[in-house]
Amino acid sequence: MAKQLFEWDYSSYPGAKSYPHLFKPIQIGNLTIPNRIKYAATEDNLNDHNGFVTDADVAYLKRRAEGVVGGMCFMQGVYMDEARKGQGYVGQAACWNDKFIPGLKRLADAIHEEKAIAGFQLMDCGRVGAVEVDAGHGPSTVPQRLRIFKPMYEMTHAEVKEMIQQHVDAAKRGIEAGFDIIEISGIVGYLISNFLSSYTNRRTDEYGGDVRGRSQSMIEIIQGVKEVCGPDIPLGIRLCSEELLDDVRGNTPDESMITYQLAEEAGADYISCTLGWQESIYPVISRDIPQGNWLHLAKRAKAHVKIPIQMAYRLFTPDKPNKAIGDGELDIWEMCRSMIADPLMPKKVLEGREDEIRHCVACNLCLARLFRDAPMTCYINPLCAHEHDEKFYPSPVEADEQKEVMIVGAGPAGLECAYVAAQRGHDVHVYDKRQEPGGTLLEASRAPYGDEELMTCIHYQKTMCEKAGVEFHLGTEVTDSLVQEEMPDTVVLATGPVYSKIQGLGADRNNVVNVLDVMGGKVEVGDKVVVWGNRKPGIGVALHLAKQGKKVTIVGKEKSAGFDINPSFKWRYMIYLRQNGVMAYNDCDIEEISEGEIMVRTYDGYRFPVECDTVVVSEREANASLKNVVQGEGIEVFVIGDALLPRNLSSAVHDGYRIGLRI
Amino acid sequence: MPVNAEKEIAKLWRNVHSAQAENCKTYYRWREVALELAGPDVKPLDVGLKAAEMMGKDIGKDFLPRTNWLKGEEGFMMNLGKALAGLWITEGGLATAEKGDAPGEIFIKCTRDPWPTVAKQYGVPMEEVAQARERLFQTILEDVSVFMNIPVKIEMLKAIPRGEGMYLFRLYKEN
Repeated sequence: MAKQLFEWDYSSYPGAKSYPHLFKPIQIGNLTIPNRIKYAATEDNLNDHNGFVTDADVAYLKRRAEGVVGGMCFMQGVYMDEARKGQGYVGQAACWNDKFIPGLKRLADAIHEEKAIAGFQLMDCGRVGAVEVDAGHGPSTVPQRLRIFKPMYEMTHAEVKEMIQQHVDAAKRGIEAGFDIIEISGIVGYLISNFLSSYTNRRTDEYGGDVRGRSQSMIEIIQGVKEVCGPDIPLGIRLCSEELLDDVRGNTPDESMITYQLAEEAGADYISCTLGWQESIYPVISRDIPQGNWLHLAKRAKAHVKIPIQMAYRLFTPDKPNKAIGDGELDIWEMCRSMIADPLMPKKVLEGREDEIRHCVACNLCLARLFRDAPMTCYINPLCAHEHDEKFYPSPVEADEQKEVMIVGAGPAGLECAYVAAQRGHDVHVYDKRQEPGGTLLEASRAPYGDEELMTCIHYQKTMCEKAGVEFHLGTEVTDSLVQEEMPDTVVLATGPVYSKIQGLGADRNNVVNVLDVMGGKVEVGDKVVVWGNRKPGIGVALHLAKQGKKVTIVGKEKSAGFDINPSFKWRYMIYLRQNGVMAYNDCDIEEISEGEIMVRTYDGYRFPVECDTVVVSEREANASLKNVVQGEGIEVFVIGDALLPRNLSSAVHDGYRIGLRI
Repeated sequence: MPVNAEKEIAKLWRNVHSAQAENCKTYYRWREVALELAGPDVKPLDVGLKAAEMMGKDIGKDFLPRTNWLKGEEGFMMNLGKALAGLWITEGGLATAEKGDAPGEIFIKCTRDPWPTVAKQYGVPMEEVAQARERLFQTILEDVSVFMNIPVKIEMLKAIPRGEGMYLFRLYKEN
């Protein structure tokens, strides 16, 4: 008889009817999991730099535990060696000594308080480790492909044995701390995956050779940890179903499936199916990859093993995993980024509140920050990593402090501010001269390669505004006289940017058009287009036009195109620019526009002509309109989003949230 | 919108050549610093070769993200040869990579090299210039070899600073 830790009955919830396969139990080892939902282990850099768990991490994880509504909630992977070679993140939790157990117990307790199943992950980061020391370890000395990672050296036979024992010892500590499931991380370039891969394992002892030999350390770890777990605590492992390292002669997909079978034979109770390494040259999880793109790999994994298969990659909405589970192609829906963006995502699914989900936009800012030793944050969830700080939660205002708030602009900054202020008790009115909310995101989301997903942010905010009682005045342009007529207590200017004027000759020609008009399909452009501005809006419109077969050239003042895009995503855009034949002249400006061409001037004075029949302006500036009028009336005023300083969606959302808390 | 293309290109060209010359001079200025700090007991050739090693090691790191086996051994070797020739061109050399007769064999030829001229201005022996180039290329390939698990070698057959009219390198896979 399998053990069940907490009783859950989903039968009365609408989500259990809409997605019946997500909310039915599954047995893993001798443990019954009430549903098919898992918050997968995710580094957050929130812990003490000596590996001790912090209040911030406990609060962060507790919130996710609430979200899985009885499912599995995993803490981040722990490193297990005192020498810290296995540590891949500055804020990674440690487990190389009993002194870490009390902190780990806080995490397990926090998960249990939410009646969720507490998962503990063992993670030696191997090739991508040694973040705090000079050199890392691995099966063989293979130079790093990416400079951000430390050099790594071949482990001796004794060190391999020691590493295996470290996994076993750490598992014991995890169990003592109260965790219910143990998981081994063997993915994306971490140590186990280094041993498994023909790319990084060139050993000639029993831990190298063919795929069976390369799997030997994994097998011994599984067997050792399994013994510690006993019959009641399930043991899982995360493994690459495809390394995507064919350019450096990594494992074939068939070899990866052999590692799955060997893991099962060694005693694993489930496998979390992943793909790609951090140094793979192919995209896996960015927005340009369609949702559900990798489900075929879960299906293939299930054809090779009998134990349950779990998967996360690009599964942000419940429909696809629900169907895959129903079709027998997947067993458990894992989430990382989608629950960073909205920790209560599955709970909202269960309760039939899908319209209240703040969807991840797959920008990978969270990853970019981890690799730069910064604490986790989320592009669109301002509360992320601040769950422990009560100042970050909307607090109700007293009745005599309630204000009438006029928000000018229904873009992401204005809407975010609106619902937060309204939730606190203010009387909030949102004005926009357009007939629909969204601001410049309406146009930005028309860019190719998945940018339509950006609109999920607006859908969420609009729902939250409506539920919080925000009153919309769409199709209403706010003028000086309207402000004077309404005389609100507070005005929030979220009007978006103004577009810069080209300073060169010919800037007033009728072939100079605005990026919003182009993206909105309001103007025709010629076949040879120059986009002025090399930040994100310029790249978006350039790709949009290049996809229509136009010859596009970007001319921009920044030293590199897309410098305002986070580095974990920027590389995708750079590849797409090249693939679509878009030339970017950076560190440049337009000196003159004339018939059929423009003159480009480099920062140091060189000039050259570029053929062009249309110039698209995407350079932006802060928008100071209305500010003087509002201040002149003695009204409290805040300027947020691109109106304050043109930046990106994230800044707009975070600005809006913070000002919503302050009003 | 008149633009004098000849004038613009000439300006650009001058700046590129100045940057290339400055690159060489900066290296030899630092060589003088290193020799002075090292003292009279240290052989200048050893310093020059050590510098070539350290630079080669670092340049090799830049090769790794682009190293790629998808085109097989022939494509891999030719890409390496082109990368080495391209490095030389950036420095102001006139270099090419050509396929040899043996499988995977590539010849890198350089018929013009700015380094000996500048070295002469700083009193650097020509033999050091030749050996430093060979050591630089060898060290660049060390990490590439380990990374791809392929024993890639390079040998210098001719050198301009030895009065042989051109540099000729043979890039090959050791059996």
